[in-house]
Amino acid sequence: MDFDLENPLGNFHDLPCDAVPSLFLIESDHIPPPNYCQSLKASDFDISVRRDVVSLISQLSCTFDPVLPYLAINYLDRFLANQGILQPKPWANKLLAVSCFSLAAKMLKTEYSATDVQVLMNHGDGGAIFETQTIQRMEGIVLGALQWRMRSITPFSFIPFFVNLFRLKDPALRQVLKDRASEIILKSQREIKVLEFKPSTVAASALLYASHELFPFQYPCFLRAISDCSYINKETVVQCYNVIQDIAREEYESVLNINSTSDTPVNVLDEHFLSLESEKTNGTNVVVTQEQDFKRRKTTDYGNNRRVPFSHFHQC
Amino acid sequence: MEKPGGGGVLSAKEAFEKLEKVGEGTYGKVYRAREKATGKIVALKKTRLHEDEEGVPPTTLREVSILRMLSRDPHVVRLMDVKQGQNKEGKTVLYLVFEYMDTDLKKFIRSFRQTGQTVPPQTIKSLMYQLCKGVAFCHGHGILHRDLKPHNLLMDPKTMMLKIADLGLARAFTVPIKKYTHEILTLWYRAPEVLLGATHYSMAVDIWSVGCIFAELVTKQALFPGDSELQQLLHIFRLLGTPNEDVWPGVSKLMNWHEYPQWNPQSLSTAVPSLDELGLDLLSQMLKYEPSKRISAKKAMEHAYFDDLDKRHL
Repeated sequence: MDFDLENPLGNFHDLPCDAVPSLFLIESDHIPPPNYCQSLKASDFDISVRRDVVSLISQLSCTFDPVLPYLAINYLDRFLANQGILQPKPWANKLLAVSCFSLAAKMLKTEYSATDVQVLMNHGDGGAIFETQTIQRMEGIVLGALQWRMRSITPFSFIPFFVNLFRLKDPALRQVLKDRASEIILKSQREIKVLEFKPSTVAASALLYASHELFPFQYPCFLRAISDCSYINKETVVQCYNVIQDIAREEYESVLNINSTSDTPVNVLDEHFLSLESEKTNGTNVVVTQEQDFKRRKTTDYGNNRRVPFSHFHQC
Repeated sequence: MEKPGGGGVLSAKEAFEKLEKVGEGTYGKVYRAREKATGKIVALKKTRLHEDEEGVPPTTLREVSILRMLSRDPHVVRLMDVKQGQNKEGKTVLYLVFEYMDTDLKKFIRSFRQTGQTVPPQTIKSLMYQLCKGVAFCHGHGILHRDLKPHNLLMDPKTMMLKIADLGLARAFTVPIKKYTHEILTLWYRAPEVLLGATHYSMAVDIWSVGCIFAELVTKQALFPGDSELQQLLHIFRLLGTPNEDVWPGVSKLMNWHEYPQWNPQSLSTAVPSLDELGLDLLSQMLKYEPSKRISAKKAMEHAYFDDLDKRHL
């Protein structure tokens, strides 16, 4: 069988245009059940366990394709939703992290060094050394809990479909949009609030947010394209967009904080703030329900590479 | 669904009673079995995992995941469960539990050939519609079958339901093809671009197979019964004409291309004389030389040939 696991609609033009319903139909098989998010919120301990394991997976995955940790964390959430928090022990968290990471690496055909994994997991305490058999047994438990549905339908699966709706003709612009949306999706996965939404909704919201940042004048057209898509619930996208906006804002605030220590070159901030420069249009008010923190200035010439000094930006 | 890790979960051996071995292949054996708890008959496919240091092999993991995903469609044989167990030597064994189907399309066609009867036209139409629907579902998930043939299209003779089997790992369990039969390596349903050594397959390879099966349902004989790759190509060329750059741009650059005898195309009605005009049109669109010109499975379902078919239960 030939298929691109990461991007099942990768050869979009080769697939029948009505192939898309398949992904929308089955995406719910590949996310935690709806009550998982509420269950996590109800227990500070559960949230901290998830955060710990997510952190461990991120350490294991830091040198790999970002889709790998996304898939591993998806397995983690589906496993926790099915099994609950069984053993509140640090070594159990590590074993679960290693098992989810290993299964995701296998699904993506990613080679990794078991020795490196051991070294990383043993850092900080001398105790836990997992034998191969132990990991294999844990993998078996995760597989059983997930009923071997390991080809998770992630938000990445839907990005090409939505980008095609946007009718951006320049391949470079499409790639920039995809990259920014992917970055947003990866960051948002760490927040449990996003777990309430289906992958297609997360993908649509992330793309809208990225398009608002990068192509503000075309944003109303993109919004209309998403709204017209019969597979998408518009109200849910609005809710998800707001969650994503909050997460992305935290990103900018942390950048501001970094700058205050004078450790970060001003140019880094220039790049971020320049991408925010835009004029508000009526279309944006449909989903942007909160006032912008930063004053925005209109520039008349997008082809001009002039950079605006940081000192010219200030809060309203 | 049984939860792992708890007490009282039956191992695969304890949960099923093996009734008879019905197949054997590269990776393991196939049994007709009965689930003790429910009395349900299943096809049990058993494979030893080739473990080294890595536990479940990536290939197995990927392919079982695909089978789980595809099992949603009523026209793909359903993978009901996956169980891990241990054999007598303590090695890990994987059991794939599939729904059991009584017969397949190969046996079905042979039964008509033996009695001298033709397959009723409405039956052909129903089976073909179900086949297109199942293939469309697989292609909709970006998955090719690449080995469609009557033997791996399972049927329930009472309901005339048809299901696609032998996707991926499950394919490794087929009955081994004995030497000297006329179905060596299943050439008969293979698309010309595959025979000519194309390195990049597309969904069109499955559509070609669907077309060959369509013709065989009508005539009860294989459309292109070659016994070598060269003979397979010559069978195709004799009916459809030897391809050239005009009808199939790029054909002469394919790896296995040679000079071939030059035949002119014949009308498909000479090969499938009892098929009506709409059926012949659909068949011709499935047997286009240029892969990108071949009809898709989804479009085939919309073809006028199926207009008078009652699709409510399909």
